[in-house]
Amino acid sequence: MTCALRRVLLTVPLLLAVSLVVFALVDALPGDPAVRRFDVHANPEAVKAWRREHGLDDPFLVRWGRYVTGVVTRFDFGKSYARNLPVGEDLARKFQATFELTVCALLLATAVGVAVGVLSAAFPRSPLDVAGNLLALGGISLPVFWLGMLLWILCTEVLGLAYRSGRAEAPGLATGLYLFESLARLKLDLFFEQLGRILLPALALSTIPMAVITRMTRAAVLDEIGKDYAVTARAKGLGRARVLLRHVLRNALLPITTITGLQFGQLLSGAVLTETIFSWPGLGSYVVEEGVLASDTPVIVGGILLVATTFVLVNLAVDLLYTVVDPRLRRA
Amino acid sequence: MKGRRLRVLLRSKTAAAGAAVVALVVLAAAFADVIATHDPETRQAEFRAPPSAAHWLGTDENGFDVFSRLVHGARASLGAALAAVAFALLAGVPLGLCAGWYGGWLDSVLMRFVDVLLAFPSVLLAVAIAVGLGGGSLLTVILAVGVVMVPVFLRQVRAAVLQVKTQEYVAAARALGARDRRILFRTVLPNCAGPILVLATLSTGVAILDAAGLSFLGLGPPATSPEWGVMLTKGVRYLKQKEQWLLLPPGLAIAVTVLGFNLLGDGLRDAFDPRRR
Repeated sequence: MTCALRRVLLTVPLLLAVSLVVFALVDALPGDPAVRRFDVHANPEAVKAWRREHGLDDPFLVRWGRYVTGVVTRFDFGKSYARNLPVGEDLARKFQATFELTVCALLLATAVGVAVGVLSAAFPRSPLDVAGNLLALGGISLPVFWLGMLLWILCTEVLGLAYRSGRAEAPGLATGLYLFESLARLKLDLFFEQLGRILLPALALSTIPMAVITRMTRAAVLDEIGKDYAVTARAKGLGRARVLLRHVLRNALLPITTITGLQFGQLLSGAVLTETIFSWPGLGSYVVEEGVLASDTPVIVGGILLVATTFVLVNLAVDLLYTVVDPRLRRA
Repeated sequence: MKGRRLRVLLRSKTAAAGAAVVALVVLAAAFADVIATHDPETRQAEFRAPPSAAHWLGTDENGFDVFSRLVHGARASLGAALAAVAFALLAGVPLGLCAGWYGGWLDSVLMRFVDVLLAFPSVLLAVAIAVGLGGGSLLTVILAVGVVMVPVFLRQVRAAVLQVKTQEYVAAARALGARDRRILFRTVLPNCAGPILVLATLSTGVAILDAAGLSFLGLGPPATSPEWGVMLTKGVRYLKQKEQWLLLPPGLAIAVTVLGFNLLGDGLRDAFDPRRR
């Protein structure tokens, strides 16, 4: 227990350091943000007022301290330069879109990855194993954004499906999690509409994690399948499938959980690219289109910080999950 | 690499295929000027021409010869990836050696630094670094991708050193009176070379993908330069047009090259794995 508590507490300085790195990196952006916003003939008073409004005149550490305090106490990420709207509200909305996309991609990746991995390990060197290996190799070698474009063309041009990108408007829902909420409220029309739109980006996004999970599952199951307890279970007459699923897979679950949790970083990275292709209104496309391309510092800092924080918290959750998957670790 | 390991490596068909692909791309990059049929940044007579005898892969919307851009793109994309990996090696290996060997406060400080950098999803950190550097050039891409990989190398080298450190031959070198630096570079480093080589090979594939991603997002070299990621950026505009096939050459080039590095990396891992000899 003390170990878990220590792990939780260590997250705080880590997140502070992460915010400092993002803040410093974006602060190093060459040129004065005020100069980029105003032309040379602008009223100097207006420029001064703008600088004051965005708190740009204070020293770096003061600005950082104020920013972190604002984020922690009021979820205040400052106002965007371009539209002068609070970044925090945008982030909250976009985060839900990204969350839905990454969860769908991870579900897809885990389901396919574990199934193919177990089958590959059960029938090593069979055509099935070769196919699984090819899937894994392709998954880590294809550029996500290229695959996304190919999937798009395949659906719209080759198969002639009326694929629409982005998310559908969903009035009457309380949250931004359109897919999950429409399912929970049994609004099936809306659910299938959302499902149709999320399928392609989720599929494109899932390839890398799917590949990694497939490989890890195969290796972990092969590792366990030769151990004494598995041989004993077979020797006392248990069926092959039963030994594989009830005994071997259970013991192989620890490395699989670890690698699955670590894939969340891949997903958040991939989301930056996938969302741009499919006009998915999530954090990735927000940071790139409204932040980077418009040199809108508060948008960039807020978006990256939120994604990094999510990643850190997911890793923390995975660490804590070990103790559930493997009771032996509880005492450690 | 010793002869026995090379034989193990080449006995595997997939590893040999990977090595062949990598060699091919390296040759294309090295002799781009000879192989390319046209200058990659000179307008040809026809715009958006389909493949023909004069233009093997046709021309793009600027009238540039696609085949020539692809060959020169190998130089830019592979060069950038190799430079990024070299950067990660130059920074990560010495730091990892020191962290693993000396331990103590140096190790603690470096590992906290690693923790912070690994707290970022890789592409996002690369985007932040590219933004901080101002973006818009191949050098930005190299530095952004390189810095992101440093903590990965540092951690891997440190882990390898911790393992090698306890071996008897290290104690023997010490007993013979060798100094720290000599033990580090003559005894410890050569024994960590296997995992480092495997990581560097696999990382080159990752670096090609990350660099293409940054270019695709508009943080790479300018839009006319021959680079695979840049060539795909323009492809997005073709999604609903007749020129969709222009997406294929650069995308396939990236996929095949990365696949080659992955196959080679897996082969190297097997060749260096003592359990599989």
